[in-house]
Amino acid sequence: MKISHKIQDRFDLAIFIPVVFLIIIGLAAIYSSTINHPVAGGNFQRQLFWVFFSFTAMIIVYFLPSQTFRLLSAPIYVFSILLLIAVLVFGKSVYGARSWLSFGGVGFQPSEFAKIGLIFFLSYWFNQKNRNINNLKDVGVGLLIGLFPVMLILLEPDMGTAIIFIVITLALIFWNGISLFGLFIVIAPGFTFFASMLGVYYFYAALLLIIAVLFLFKRDLFLSAAIFGMNLATGFILKYALPLLQPHQQKRIESFVNPMADPLGAGYNALQARLAVGSGGLFGKGFMQGNQTQLRFIPEQWTDFIFCVIGEEFGFIGSILIIVLFTFLFLRLIKISSNLQNRFSSSLLVGIVTLLFTHFVINIGMNVGLMPVIGVPLPFLSYGGSSLLMIMMLIGVALNISKNKR
Amino acid sequence: MPIFKETYNLRKRIFTGIIVAVSFILSLQLFKMQILEYSFYDKRSKINSIKKIEVDAPRGVFFDRNMEMLVSNKPSFTLQIIPDKFDMTKIPLIENVIKVDSGYIKSILYKKRKYSKFVPRKIKRGISLKTIAWLEEQHEFLPGVNYVIELQRDYSFGIKGSHIFGYTKEITAARLKKYKGDYLRGDEAGASGLEMQYENLLRGIKGKKYIVVDSKRKTIGSYLNGERDVKPIKGNDLVLTLDKQTQQIAESLMVKRKGAIVAIEPATGEILAFVSAPEYDLSLFASITSGETLQKLFNNPDKALFNRATMSIYPPGSTVKMIAALAALEDNIVTKNWRINCGGGYQLGDRFFGCTHVHGKTNMVKSIEESCNTYYYQLILKLGIDRWSNFVSQFGFGRKTGIDIPEESGGILPDRKYFNKIYGKNRWTEGYLLNIVIGQGQFNVTPVQLAQYVSLLANNGRTKTPHFLRGYINRNGELHKTKYDDVIVDISTSSLDVIKTGMYDVVNKPEGTAFNIHMKELKIAGKTGTSQNPFGKDHSVFIAYAPFDNPKIAVAVVVENAGYGSATAAPIARDIITTYLLRKTVSPKYPVLINKTTEDNNEN
Repeated sequence: MKISHKIQDRFDLAIFIPVVFLIIIGLAAIYSSTINHPVAGGNFQRQLFWVFFSFTAMIIVYFLPSQTFRLLSAPIYVFSILLLIAVLVFGKSVYGARSWLSFGGVGFQPSEFAKIGLIFFLSYWFNQKNRNINNLKDVGVGLLIGLFPVMLILLEPDMGTAIIFIVITLALIFWNGISLFGLFIVIAPGFTFFASMLGVYYFYAALLLIIAVLFLFKRDLFLSAAIFGMNLATGFILKYALPLLQPHQQKRIESFVNPMADPLGAGYNALQARLAVGSGGLFGKGFMQGNQTQLRFIPEQWTDFIFCVIGEEFGFIGSILIIVLFTFLFLRLIKISSNLQNRFSSSLLVGIVTLLFTHFVINIGMNVGLMPVIGVPLPFLSYGGSSLLMIMMLIGVALNISKNKR
Repeated sequence: MPIFKETYNLRKRIFTGIIVAVSFILSLQLFKMQILEYSFYDKRSKINSIKKIEVDAPRGVFFDRNMEMLVSNKPSFTLQIIPDKFDMTKIPLIENVIKVDSGYIKSILYKKRKYSKFVPRKIKRGISLKTIAWLEEQHEFLPGVNYVIELQRDYSFGIKGSHIFGYTKEITAARLKKYKGDYLRGDEAGASGLEMQYENLLRGIKGKKYIVVDSKRKTIGSYLNGERDVKPIKGNDLVLTLDKQTQQIAESLMVKRKGAIVAIEPATGEILAFVSAPEYDLSLFASITSGETLQKLFNNPDKALFNRATMSIYPPGSTVKMIAALAALEDNIVTKNWRINCGGGYQLGDRFFGCTHVHGKTNMVKSIEESCNTYYYQLILKLGIDRWSNFVSQFGFGRKTGIDIPEESGGILPDRKYFNKIYGKNRWTEGYLLNIVIGQGQFNVTPVQLAQYVSLLANNGRTKTPHFLRGYINRNGELHKTKYDDVIVDISTSSLDVIKTGMYDVVNKPEGTAFNIHMKELKIAGKTGTSQNPFGKDHSVFIAYAPFDNPKIAVAVVVENAGYGSATAAPIARDIITTYLLRKTVSPKYPVLINKTTEDNNEN
């Protein structure tokens, strides 16, 4: 045992340092966008408290014995499902979605906690002895584990979070060794569904593509026909599902197609966010100097639109720094996970990466106009206690796995 | 496990590929926006930003029962300062021009220091046109100073009604939190009286205005010529039960006096006139007044802000004697012919309870007419506290009437429970009852409770919760009437008739204690009272209703430190009744007191 290498070996600074930087930049952006705000003026201090609290939680998780995660998988999942049901009954509505529980004045989103439950339990389920991911029953149960909370979250309704659950479920199925054909069966309906959202011709194109792929796999005719039929059916979901969405969410999907068409309605935030980012230029307008931010053109900017504060005030340099830090963190976690002997731990890490990555893509994509406005926070940077706490606990898990990797 | 190692490698490469590709696409988009299209976004952000502004909705106005205007709105100029551009050295100049104390502007700016420096602070309302013209001229030298036209309450319709209407104030943090989303910081909301009670009816719905502003928040123009703007919707107009003319007279009768008047239509509970004196100037609250002026008002020794008609509690004096009489009749304790011999008082144990004079043989009607205390000393001893307090409670004493303004107190009804609590079980004697039966001691009532009590007597034990609101007129011009609960006392007509005869005689028989207000044109029934005041001169109390055969108005008048009920309160009640029923005021020179006994009548 070499003492000199101990700290470096055990505490993975390659994970920790980018996280610290992201949190510091996030605090600066929250400070800039809220400190002069009449209602949100205290948010910086509150976030500072949550940062300390979350770091403490991270350190506690870091020191937990490595078996803990496997043991806790099922209880965490079950508990988080109960919380999701509780929020539908007792929850309080914020912006049209019933997604908050309140404990003595402290708001808390059970769906954040449920993300941990999902990652843990799916990883656990796929890595039980005698589990075969290419067995229809096993993968079917895996899908159910993932889709049950999705259903509860859609009832809130919170589309952004539901999408994240779906992506995590698919990523874990993929990582845990599903065959290409299996993956195709799982993903194809989602693909067709998305195509049907874009229009009739996209939908036909998607169906043609599926027929082509089915030919390539050369499976028996009955199975191929069944898969095709399933995909055909998903095309009609939209027609019946869209009216189920909240009016503000329907509008958001429409405004994604053309945000300039309705600059005052649903496209307002997207347009103002893009103006903020674009007008930042190479070096930005300077800390606390962004007119879009300081004049509050973007409502609640400190939550889902925190990235455009950075884009406006720290410019291209600042924005790229964020992307580099995130990418570095993702690649580091993927690298560790692919070298692990323990498949459960490996799956956990991939779940964590997928979670962070999906948030990252949807949030920044929305801030720069590549994605519709879906309410998803940017990890480490957005204002919000339960989200930060959840993410830092997952970072604690990652550090813990990294510590025990040999 | 080599198989997994192998698939891991493939899958790792796929994950890595996706991550790198997506990060690259995001970077590319950032490069496109922030470097290539920078000048486009920069220009748009600087000169062309659409800003949503909330437009305040006018509050609903108040009408009286005949649709006469009581309170309305008027436009007024409000001076604003935007700290971002404001030159602090100009403060003394502006303070001088708008005629406020030095330090006034600074205190307002300090109070709102936490707001964004781009948000205008309202400094003073009701700025004169002359000052505005001067401001326009000096515009170049006064950066960050401007004005807006706002609607302000207009109280110029000849009545004060300060305790009825109440005032609005900048919304409190607590209310802002409670009605999250409905209000913005700086909004006005009702803070007392009807303005507070019916805030949700009065406030209307805010409008939206879209304007194009530059990065310094300077307005460039309206967006799309205002075609996307949403006009504010005015609040509902309230139709009150008040009668403007009667209210006016009632207010004028209480000028330079302290006390309260409540006049009610007995059958409906509709409040016809309502005064708490002294009044205060509601327009002081309508403008942003310096803290000093308000402080003076709050510390006023006469407590002008205090609503005496619903909050002050007074011993009702002899006006409540009829309750004991009714209780005795209803519970068959005595008949109306039961007589006592009044020798000027009553000896109970070692204490002597005095009467106003020697009344001699006295039956029930006479006991009311001449307000004989001795009769009731003896009656309450037969009646006992429980029967008595049960009836008092039925008439609504000892609890809030539920009148539709937020400020009300319930008074004190001393029953067995109350005495046990105050003195301890069995530590009080029947002697205590002798005081409360004639409306003194611990028995305390509010003027509005008294008015409800007279309504119940006048209308055979039936009325409704006293109220100001008849209904409201919504934005389509439809009148929505409001419904109110019944207030019912179960008493027989025969018992009531005895009492009413007594009350009729009070005003219309020469021996009656209020014969001074009798008149040919109108039959008024009433009862005098004197409310003992340990802190100074006694309060004058009078309750009345008219016409005697078909009551249309019931009045309770309390005048503080004005002596006997007949002297001050009774003529005031008479004037209110004649104004309402005959539409004329009897000349203010009251008839000379005819009966000498009435003059030095020391009724309690």
